[in-house]
Amino acid sequence: MLKIENLHVSVEGKEILTGIDLEINKGEVHAIMGPNGSGKSTLSYILAGREGYEITQGRVLFNGKDLFEMSVEKRAWAGVFLAFQYPVEVPGVSNIYFLKAALNGIRKFNGLSELDAMDFISSVKGKMKELDMDEKFLYRAVNEGFSGGEKKRNEVLQMSVLEPTLCVLDETDSGLDIDALQVVAEGINRLRSPERSFVLITHYQRLLDYIKPDFVHVLAHGKVVKSGGPELALELEEQGYAWVEDKLAS
Amino acid sequence: MSVTQLPNAHYASLITAKNADLVGCEFDWLNSLRVKAAEGFSETGFPSPREEEWRYTNISPIEKSQFNLPTKAGAIDTRFLQNVLLDDCHHLVFVDGFYQPTLSSVIDLTEGVVVSAISEGVSEHEDLLKSLLDSVVETPALGFINFNTALFTDGAVISIEENTQIEKPIQIAFISSKEGALSIINCRNLVLAKAGSKATLIETYHGAEDSCYLSNIVTEVVVEPNANLSHNRLQAESLKAYHIGGVYSRLDNNAIFNQYNYNFGSVLSRSEVHAELGEASDCTLDGLYIAEDRQHMDNHTRVNHAQPHAVSNEFYKGIMNDRSKGVFQGRIIVALDAQKTDAKMNNRNLLLSDRAEADTKPQLEIYADDVKCAHGVTVGQLDDSAIFYLRTRGADEEMAKNMLTFAFANEMVERVKFKPLRIKILEELLKRFPQQGMKIEWL
Repeated sequence: MLKIENLHVSVEGKEILTGIDLEINKGEVHAIMGPNGSGKSTLSYILAGREGYEITQGRVLFNGKDLFEMSVEKRAWAGVFLAFQYPVEVPGVSNIYFLKAALNGIRKFNGLSELDAMDFISSVKGKMKELDMDEKFLYRAVNEGFSGGEKKRNEVLQMSVLEPTLCVLDETDSGLDIDALQVVAEGINRLRSPERSFVLITHYQRLLDYIKPDFVHVLAHGKVVKSGGPELALELEEQGYAWVEDKLAS
Repeated sequence: MSVTQLPNAHYASLITAKNADLVGCEFDWLNSLRVKAAEGFSETGFPSPREEEWRYTNISPIEKSQFNLPTKAGAIDTRFLQNVLLDDCHHLVFVDGFYQPTLSSVIDLTEGVVVSAISEGVSEHEDLLKSLLDSVVETPALGFINFNTALFTDGAVISIEENTQIEKPIQIAFISSKEGALSIINCRNLVLAKAGSKATLIETYHGAEDSCYLSNIVTEVVVEPNANLSHNRLQAESLKAYHIGGVYSRLDNNAIFNQYNYNFGSVLSRSEVHAELGEASDCTLDGLYIAEDRQHMDNHTRVNHAQPHAVSNEFYKGIMNDRSKGVFQGRIIVALDAQKTDAKMNNRNLLLSDRAEADTKPQLEIYADDVKCAHGVTVGQLDDSAIFYLRTRGADEEMAKNMLTFAFANEMVERVKFKPLRIKILEELLKRFPQQGMKIEWL
């Protein structure tokens, strides 16, 4: 589904990603862990198409197509979704309108008709209930005045409404207390399917207590320095990132 | 600070010509007022950009255009009119500056309430006219007001009886017909909300598509003690027209005046909203101006806290696209005696293009020492991170921008309580910033 080949990315002349190779198949859950400044968030933004990055080498294929040839919205239509570490507040645009406009954009691209408004609202309400979100959030401006936890829930709500095939979650666990983390993780687990892949970007292991990854990759200095199964996350938790640094040095 | 300027010869000739058949010409008091205004105009002419209050707006295209006075109303087709008239309102319709009784409808008014055109029953309402005309503005005044006083052809005269509430809003629609091209419409509206009364007025401005003309409108408003008047203005003139519109109000003690000002039309427009506040009165001035292409929109407000304990809240938002220009000049004056004044002014501008311009100038003149005054202005662009966020969810770039722009404007539209008017304003907004799948009923 997603193939990252020798990806080098610079920001203002400074190389942040220094040659990433990664292959993610349908239905797999990959965790990307790494210390601050290792390039985790850059990778997520690159996949979503944010401006301000210079891709100096390599390529990313999404279902065989060059991702960098696709505009931000086209990636969304094709099934790429980034859950933001810091979801953006959009004053004046209500959640319900935002969700409906987004979903209809995606459906239009895929040759589907617009959803009936009533069906849409009742389906969204059902999903909100699962995420323990009050219905009043539907009519509030997107993320405006939401707490950190509410914003993260809202990201997962969007994900469950838009039903992407590749979900990139950037530090979705940050700023969540244990109860909220559980709710959000359950929301993500419900979306797991043989057709849908996940990239979980996280600093800490604790998210992986709730969402069991198939693969764990350790990112340092802009490249994957170690890959393994879920046990690698536990190893990291015990030994800390200094262990990675030491290994790199030796 | 006024700068002497010779009046434009063409307009000077219009004003000195014998205009014997103007409305109310049977009243000596009105004739002498018109003469005084004409003399005032002969001295000053129209304002020049050298005057501080007009430094951002050059009206020389108006002078060059040499508009003429209309002599009669042109024809308006039914569909155009249907689109202009709001549901659930009383309607006073003026075409090319003349009242059209057959297009208007005012029914079931409470006794003592006057909702009329000046030209209708002019002798019946002489006392009312006399008491209101020139009661807030003072002749001789500034160029455009003098021009209006000297030459107004008609307008609305409204008086709400004491302790009376008018359920339905009163729409005063000014329409320029195709035949009205190249003319200058001078209309004068006179509004009195007597003590304890409550009413909603809606002035709307429209013109035949691409027609070039000038609307020069003056509205004088008196809100008596404990009266509550909501005054709305929708300027949707032809995009080639000029519009100079002023609302001059005086609030007595404990009066409430809410003025909502929406500007979409005209190639060059200037709106003036002035309010003089009595003791413990409450004044809200809200505005929205949206300019595209080469439109120029100037909004001028003046709030005079003349007495203590009054509250004023002013909030104007502007959106400028393409090569358009938006101007906001807001002045708050707090007189020496106006202790415990609470005045707020806010102007926020959104620039959608590199070539668009926003000029904003808040001015506070405070002579009292125990007051609360706050003002803020911003000029900004759409938030790139919000655009990116919306795009990652599947909105294309244009749609993302439209969503954010619409949301910026809608904050001002939501303040309109009367739904038929709110929908009309939303239609103007959606024409400019379409929202896919957005249903007006949702708003």
